[in-house]
Amino acid sequence: MLRFAEGIGRGVVRGVEEVGFAGALFAESLFWAFAGPARRQPVRLPAVFAQMMQIGIEALPIATVLAATIGMMLAIQSLYSLGLFGAESFATIGIALSVVREFAPLIIGILIAGRSGSALAARFSTMTINQEVDALRVIGISPVRFLVAPSLFAMMIMVPVLTMWANIVALTAAGLMVTASLEISLAAYHADVLAALSVNDLAHGLGKSVLFAAVVALVSAVNGALADGGAEGVGRRTTRAVVHSIAAIIMVDMIFAFVVTSG
Amino acid sequence: MTDRSDTRASEHLQTQAAAAPVVEVENLQAHYGERQVLHDIGLTVSPGEIMVIMGGSGSGKSTLLRHLVGLTRPTAGRVELLGLDITRARAMEMMRLRRKLGVAFQGGALFSSMTVLENVMLPLQEHTQLDRKTMEIMARLKLEVVNLAEAEAMMPAELSGGMLKRAAVARAIVMDPALLFFDEPSAGLDPVVSSALDDLILKLRDAMNMTIVVVTHELESAFKIADRITVLDQGRILLVDDVAGVRRSENPRIQNLLNRRSEETEVDARSYLRRLTGEAPLAPVLHSEDSGVS
Amino acid sequence: MSQTIREESGKTVVELGGEIDLDRAPHVRRILLDCVARGRDLLVDLSQVSYIDSSGIASLVEALQSAGKGGTAFGLVAVSPQALRVFELARLDQVFTIHPDIDTALKAAG
Repeated sequence: MLRFAEGIGRGVVRGVEEVGFAGALFAESLFWAFAGPARRQPVRLPAVFAQMMQIGIEALPIATVLAATIGMMLAIQSLYSLGLFGAESFATIGIALSVVREFAPLIIGILIAGRSGSALAARFSTMTINQEVDALRVIGISPVRFLVAPSLFAMMIMVPVLTMWANIVALTAAGLMVTASLEISLAAYHADVLAALSVNDLAHGLGKSVLFAAVVALVSAVNGALADGGAEGVGRRTTRAVVHSIAAIIMVDMIFAFVVTSG
Repeated sequence: MTDRSDTRASEHLQTQAAAAPVVEVENLQAHYGERQVLHDIGLTVSPGEIMVIMGGSGSGKSTLLRHLVGLTRPTAGRVELLGLDITRARAMEMMRLRRKLGVAFQGGALFSSMTVLENVMLPLQEHTQLDRKTMEIMARLKLEVVNLAEAEAMMPAELSGGMLKRAAVARAIVMDPALLFFDEPSAGLDPVVSSALDDLILKLRDAMNMTIVVVTHELESAFKIADRITVLDQGRILLVDDVAGVRRSENPRIQNLLNRRSEETEVDARSYLRRLTGEAPLAPVLHSEDSGVS
Repeated sequence: MSQTIREESGKTVVELGGEIDLDRAPHVRRILLDCVARGRDLLVDLSQVSYIDSSGIASLVEALQSAGKGGTAFGLVAVSPQALRVFELARLDQVFTIHPDIDTALKAAG
């Protein structure tokens, strides 16, 4: 029993430490972005672009498929459940709000956690274990500037972009179902969607996606930096990074929604 | 303004280096968690000297190296490199010092996403404003020195263990450092390749007047290259002497090392038997495990 | 670091001096490439150079190659023992024409 409590205590301490570490990484990345150029140690833009390609452009096909599926699924469920009350005509409002405020950012966040978070965690862990991170430090290169910052910024740029794309795809896919079911024109659906959405809704969803991006990048970086124990350690850290990223995304999502809507 | 003070600082470094030891360690204490892994280490290395730090696994030699190159901060004590106390140095001073240090890691630690040539050029790109063409020529010259010219376009994953280590040396010496650290040059290599690396270390010292600190557990290699040897055991310095002195030493632990006998010779028969039969699974371990960093 | 450039017996002679290190090498490189561009045979006198690091040596290599392309000769004069050891380490002594002093260099054919 005592050991169990001790285990929980250790877990909490380690969790707090890791969150603190993530915060420090974020602050240091910002530092290098702004102070780096003056010190002739910039965050290298080619590295950011390379990461943007990997994180954003290469994820487009799967993001498109997922967004379209989610859009259709939402349309089917909304039409069905509102149909029980004979209120199908309100389906568009529900779909538009839930896609833009919730589903698009969440599904892209989870996709990025699985796809890019795992890749980052694996890369960082391998580099830590192979002493590549040590090598950077003895050369005098900040690993945060060289490794963490480019991935972090690339994610914070590309995840909202992907989310915006997912908004468009999901709403279009949902539109195909809605127009067929309600026998209205696509133009009418389009007008309904625009009428239902405010800039605020869009900002809510995209703002969240920026947070998700930072969470995934930082969780992966922390796990990578703490890696030990050879190839097995890489696997362990990668799994841990993905699980923690997804859990953190869902929690951040809830907290964000709570804070913003109650304010 | 900054330019002038930079120049003065570097001149200061050079004059210091000419007169004073290149490496000076005093009273170094280090802990790993609760456990003390280095006890009261004192060490000096003179300009142009090859100092070999020797010890078995768990002796603390890798931990000592991490402290010497500034990767880990000690609990107490002082580590001075080229006249700068790296335990207290500020970031900019450290940055300036890094131009004069080279570190070759055990497994090479080459960046896997870059070619060999890009790896060797990286310190130049980060520290200098040289023309790209100049950097390429410098990097190729160093690859030539370590006999790896044909591998410049290869990725680290395509290299053998010996080639990785040589590429790591090329990267470490690309800025003509005054001080080179080399972690386990012989580990994992066959004797011929390992002996070639030893020759390379000697050549670098002779031609470029480098001060070199080598960490190894290989006796043969240590005897071949060392001007002096520091023998570490369980986080303490047993002996600092030249090759002949180490051979002469009557310290039983050093004799053990020389005869390659393991320290496990003295086994308490009864507790050993109990452990084998599973009656005492938590019996004290004979070997203290490695300090966690290699 | 100092340098003087003069024309002598139809050759360009550059006399470099002081320390040639990472900070000075870009300057040396520009001088050397400019001299090679004059289109005459070039002699680089290193007798007043107290220290040359590999960025300086790399600049010499680049100038040598540039001279080779232009079809002019390129010689080094009075390479210090310190530099010569580094040259030998990278087998550059087999690439450069090295003269012991400026008079021998000027007399040498080419």
